[in-house]
Amino acid sequence: MSDICIQNFTKDYGFERGAFNVSFSIEKGEVYGFLGPNGAGKTTTIRHLMGFSKPDKGSLQIFGMNAFANHSTILKSVGYLPGELALPAGLTGVEFIEMMKKMRHVNDDTRINELIQLFELDPTAETKSMSFGNKRKLAIVVAFMHDPQVLILDEPTSGLDPVMQEKFIEFIKSEKTRGKTVLLSSHIFSEVEALCDRVSIIKHGHIIDEFPMSKLKHNENKTYRLTFEKEQDLNSAFSKLPTDIYHPEILDGQRLRVHTNDKNINQFLQEIKTIPFSDFEYERLTLEDYFMNYYYDDIKFGGIHK
Amino acid sequence: MNDIEVRRVTKDYGYKRGIFDIEFVVKQGEIFGFIGTNGSGKSTTIRHMMGFSKPDHGTISIRNLDATTQATDTKKWIGYVPGEIAFPELESGEAFIESQADFWRLKNFELTNRLIEIFQIDLRANPKKMSKGMKQKTAIIAGFMNDSDILILDEPTTGLDPLMRVKFLQVLEEEKAKGKTIFISSHLFEELEHLCDRVALIRDGHIVSIANINEIKHPQEREFKIEFMNADNYQRFLEEPFHFDRIRPDQNQVFISVDRLDIHQFIVKLSTYDVKFFIEIKYNLERFFKDTFNYQERVGIEL
Repeated sequence: MSDICIQNFTKDYGFERGAFNVSFSIEKGEVYGFLGPNGAGKTTTIRHLMGFSKPDKGSLQIFGMNAFANHSTILKSVGYLPGELALPAGLTGVEFIEMMKKMRHVNDDTRINELIQLFELDPTAETKSMSFGNKRKLAIVVAFMHDPQVLILDEPTSGLDPVMQEKFIEFIKSEKTRGKTVLLSSHIFSEVEALCDRVSIIKHGHIIDEFPMSKLKHNENKTYRLTFEKEQDLNSAFSKLPTDIYHPEILDGQRLRVHTNDKNINQFLQEIKTIPFSDFEYERLTLEDYFMNYYYDDIKFGGIHK
Repeated sequence: MNDIEVRRVTKDYGYKRGIFDIEFVVKQGEIFGFIGTNGSGKSTTIRHMMGFSKPDHGTISIRNLDATTQATDTKKWIGYVPGEIAFPELESGEAFIESQADFWRLKNFELTNRLIEIFQIDLRANPKKMSKGMKQKTAIIAGFMNDSDILILDEPTTGLDPLMRVKFLQVLEEEKAKGKTIFISSHLFEELEHLCDRVALIRDGHIVSIANINEIKHPQEREFKIEFMNADNYQRFLEEPFHFDRIRPDQNQVFISVDRLDIHQFIVKLSTYDVKFFIEIKYNLERFFKDTFNYQERVGIEL
């Protein structure tokens, strides 16, 4: 059974804002990535999954229970890390943790102390005077203090420094090996690449793609770049490589990009071994490139585009 | 010409906090990146460059003027985007932009309007009530509007979504093409690697290393991962005089390092084998700094 199951979820805020017919499910022990720009419907979906709001149509379930109707039951086994934090004023970190312990009926401090140590949080300061990074660490401790089965993370590492980002990634990896189920919405592609088993991309409230991460990591389509000293060598290489198989593109007077599939790789090596290139590089298909393909028209403004 | 010169700057806050013997220069027209953990001294360095704080030792000059004692003059050349933004009590983002325009005595609003359009920002909202991303965009517009020759940017992309980040990086590339000098701090290695000419890593108030991005993107040694169709081909390839970094016999895989000058020869050799796939393992800024870091730990360099 899936820990999280969303079917045909729609919430229409008008002006084409909201979420429309969103469906996906996340298996127990799976890390699922949710990608999209601000305003695309990520947080809307997450807030409904948390039961904060009632959908117009469709169903959102955690552990097979309706997210809205069973909000308080579900919360006992869900850890939620929101993208923007609103911490109560006039409390120290310690007092805030105590308050949340009471709310969540957590009696054992072991997990809390583990988390405080892992993320090197000093909880003695007043929440309002904490730095951005410390506030996030406090939120992490509070979100996971009850050792929940499902983790719902809305841009969890936004603004964290590189060391803390890496710590957080390691933490989520170890939670995954403990069988936890994770929904991760993030703007940091390297983090999604490192953690997720499957990913979906949302645009204008609609899910436009869902794919396993292995599609990128073990993609049989490869792109290579050849560099030449002489433009005439580049031109003869360009005319030599069959267009329908290698789709060669001239990038500038020196560089040629070629595309091939692994089933042609030996034939490709035969083709290029007699070509006098001076450099040969591989262009990895990154999640960022893959994502940006869906948004190409949105990022063009006549500026320099690489 | 160097637009920014930081010479042996120390500011000791005690308890090992502060910056110690910091030294680097930013050339005119260069994009210089700055990365490090929170509390490592990034913002302290930037605040000294802006003349908000006086160093204990050392000097900082902006175009040969002293950043501390001649701050009123040096600031005229600098567009600044702060790391933590404290907006004044104003009713709208528009009012804030206008107050900034008054400060600069701005006559030409072409760049301002263009940035507002690129970032699709609605300035009618109260700055205090804006989301992190909107605040960040407003601060960027305020920092860029004067078309200053030098841009000092403290984590400008924090809070921007991927599309806005790409647009912002394009704007920076345009500014560079106009000859601007740019100093930018960030938490994202990939972003700095994409954008910068050089990047400094700061740790515990000390500069660990300054990386030349061109050398990282186009290293002399390349690492390739090859999987062969079968064990025969794999075994035969092991006899070749390559530098084997790693082998995976159960998967018929090898990882080899090849000098850039030998790459053609490598391809010729490879064409005599039955290959399943091969890729290059790219070197990157994050690996460079980790390697530097580990090396320093290993030989026991005390910072």
